Amino acid sequence: MSDLLKFMLAAHVLLGIVGIIAFYAVWMGLLKRRVNIGFLKWSALAGFSGFILSWLSGGYYYVDYYGSSVKPVILQGPYPLAHIILTETKEHVFLFLPFLALVITLALWFYGEKLENEKFKKTLAAVAAAATLLGAFIAVAGVAISGAAR
Amino acid sequence: MDIGLIIRIGHVVGTVLGVGGATMAEIFYLKAMRDDGKIDEKEGGFLKVVYSVLRWGMVLLVLSGFGFLILYRIQGVEERLYNPRLWAKLVLTLIIVINALLLQTRKISFPWGSAISLTSWYAALVLGLWRGLEAGFWEIMLWIAGITVVVYLAQGAVRKALRIKV
Repeated sequence: MSDLLKFMLAAHVLLGIVGIIAFYAVWMGLLKRRVNIGFLKWSALAGFSGFILSWLSGGYYYVDYYGSSVKPVILQGPYPLAHIILTETKEHVFLFLPFLALVITLALWFYGEKLENEKFKKTLAAVAAAATLLGAFIAVAGVAISGAAR
Repeated sequence: MDIGLIIRIGHVVGTVLGVGGATMAEIFYLKAMRDDGKIDEKEGGFLKVVYSVLRWGMVLLVLSGFGFLILYRIQGVEERLYNPRLWAKLVLTLIIVINALLLQTRKISFPWGSAISLTSWYAALVLGLWRGLEAGFWEIMLWIAGITVVVYLAQGAVRKALRIKV
């Protein structure tokens, strides 16, 4: 693996984790009685940026290295299901996640003052929960996929 | 300084802040409740700071933890990623963050939430240090579940002895 690919892999993982942490903070913040709208806005923006950058770095690693060097190793190894089920699921959820993050970010930046409306606040909390849980699933799946590459 | 050492330092500092924060939160809470049965503004302020330290400990722990996983992948020791101890720590991390949410929304009683938080933090610390542990994932998790019940009962006994109502 070249130094650039190592960097891309590390960036993909760490920026994704930053995104998950940021949206967890948004989720927690939206569950509080008193909402700190400034914190929520910046946290959502940090999370969205994290997911987008993780998307790009992960995409580079996937296209340039995973398909040709990692996938065949997993398929011939003791845990082929790691690719067949986890990678296949992960890559589709991963494509969708930044859009979910964008929805939350835009809602907070442009309609943040409407958070006094309980229904809107609860709905946004549910979307933030979905982004966090899907992100956590992707992170755990990533560990399982990497462990199968032997 | 090599990257592995930086990650290890981050992991240890995160653990210290998290375990220390969880312990101090419990002690401050008991002390506040023992004095007059409620948490006043000053005590609430202390607890807020402690929870903030705890949260930053968790952030550091998660980032450095995933730093280790990247290192294992790059160094070609992928078999370590299927270590039951590592998966138990990952699950404990999820338990800690979900428990925090349940406490925040009052979907879990404070005594149970407190016992789960304290046990999970200490279990993560012990699992991190216990390198030679030869136990399967479910065996580890069953032990942790059992210890959580013991901690719950012990905390109840302490509250009873201190005449603290939760």
